[in-house]
Amino acid sequence: MAHQNKLMSMSEAVKEYVKDGSALYMGGFTQLQPYAAAHEIIRQKTEDLTLSTCVGLTLADQMIGAGVVKNLITAFVWNPVPLKAHCFSRSVIQGIPRTIGLEEYSVLALNLAFYAGAMGLPYVAAKTLLGTGFDSEKNPGGAKNRLRFEHSPFTGERVCLVPPIRHDLGIVQVQRCDAFGNAQAWGIMGETKYGLLSCDKIIICAEEIVETETIMRDPNRTLIPSFRVNAVVKEPWGAHPSSVAGFYDMDWRYYAYYGTKTSTEKDFEQYLDKWVLNVSGREQYLRLLGDRRVRSLIPEPFISEPVDYGRLTRHFPEDNDR
Amino acid sequence: MTGRTSTDIERMVITAARLIQNDAVLMVGTQWPIVAALLAKALHAPDSVICHEGGVVMGKLPERVPLFTVDPTLHSCSVLLGGSFDTLGAVLHAGRADMALLAAASIDRFGNINTTCFGDYGSPRVRLGGSGGGCDLGSLAEKTIIIMEHERRRFPEKVDFITTPGFLEGGGTREEAGLRPGTGPFAVVTTMGLFGFDEQGEMILLRFNPGFSIEDIRENVQWDLRVADDVSALESPTEEELEMLRKRIDPQGMYLRGGRMLDGRDLET
Repeated sequence: MAHQNKLMSMSEAVKEYVKDGSALYMGGFTQLQPYAAAHEIIRQKTEDLTLSTCVGLTLADQMIGAGVVKNLITAFVWNPVPLKAHCFSRSVIQGIPRTIGLEEYSVLALNLAFYAGAMGLPYVAAKTLLGTGFDSEKNPGGAKNRLRFEHSPFTGERVCLVPPIRHDLGIVQVQRCDAFGNAQAWGIMGETKYGLLSCDKIIICAEEIVETETIMRDPNRTLIPSFRVNAVVKEPWGAHPSSVAGFYDMDWRYYAYYGTKTSTEKDFEQYLDKWVLNVSGREQYLRLLGDRRVRSLIPEPFISEPVDYGRLTRHFPEDNDR
Repeated sequence: MTGRTSTDIERMVITAARLIQNDAVLMVGTQWPIVAALLAKALHAPDSVICHEGGVVMGKLPERVPLFTVDPTLHSCSVLLGGSFDTLGAVLHAGRADMALLAAASIDRFGNINTTCFGDYGSPRVRLGGSGGGCDLGSLAEKTIIIMEHERRRFPEKVDFITTPGFLEGGGTREEAGLRPGTGPFAVVTTMGLFGFDEQGEMILLRFNPGFSIEDIRENVQWDLRVADDVSALESPTEEELEMLRKRIDPQGMYLRGGRMLDGRDLET
């Protein structure tokens, strides 16, 4: 797996790895969210996904609206403008297009659940969610979830036991990746590292495909090594309207547009037709956005100094003199 | 908007900023908390440390006001960009956050916050975004400040769903639930005034925006609001505070004049 060329198209990757009924983690903490992958999943009409996403935003919203989600695991689903996440609301309140199973956490609790999943821990004990509507012991009519509330065997204090969450598949957008799947990302990362590590299979969507040498010159920046990755998709602008540090800004106006164009079921269908279903892939999506809009989102460079990892070829310093 | 005349929004942000001490380690939530924390850092609290839930430790004021805590402008003004464990974990859960700043959709008599839903959780009337990191901030920081626009419907006697714990039902119920002693709501800052909490954990009016009477404020919460014996008017914003807020922190009026609230209709033109 480590040295296999895994480059494929988005449609091939989704067809091969996103199966009906999968537990699917979609990474990115507002930046690096794999919108292009979400659109391809909707186009391929994958069914009954358990979607796991820490901050769902409009990515989770449109997947719910398109009917591909059966269960949702999340800490937050909202349009950041701030506007209502209309499809999420319609699903929860009216069961349109379907009622979803909802399992909610806080951001920290979900990070811990992914961490436990990634590390194979049976649970993690934490001091959050206590006494809230998520606390089934204190508020029996509150949220349904798999949390348990117990007393610590060490201190006796009341703690929230967070279960491990694992996934069949994880998808994230990154800045760069080699053909084998060594993926590097930077900027605000949220829960993404342990989210991905809690997945059995992984699809990496990358702005750029680089040589392995580039990866090995800065291995601290690696999010996930190739032996864990199953598919690599070169997908520039695959995170729009979310951002990718150094590549493009968040498209605030597009989020607002999405909010306006999805406020009724009929509007959402038109949105979906125009931006997802009648679009063959990201290239056509970018043409819809328009070259001027796309270029306006590119930030000024803010380049870091190179760092020196040091290269050593001999064991003892005196050997260097011979 | 010139001179010493300030809007209720500006007064709210300035009042909240004044509560932030220099050297404080801050967990800052999205919306109003961002503006208040930046204003404090620009004025009297230059050594305060602004942390956000996604793994941000800010190094200097950003070049545009962040529209939320994951705004990409934070990529070029931070001393640490990591993951949520770096801030929500090693700062907040570890007990190293002096103060959390939060916005809220609604808040009740004991400072419990609801950002989840109105009505029953299983069949809500209105669905909101959910906790995000809000529950973590309000559960674990030493002092929590809540900043919100004041409307009667946002101040029920008891919230429909406790997303973020305040003092729960008052008395010792917060500690009984397992939350750490010495944590909890410290102040609520609204467009109408400044509120604190009494020894039973009940919200109490401390200072009022002079644009409103105490009776106005009592009518804008849904319970019999307690008023502090020494209640008085908030001190007016200073020229320096207003100037910094308007010219440096939010010159485009993204928060102060609602500039971020786009309707998005013009994308296609």
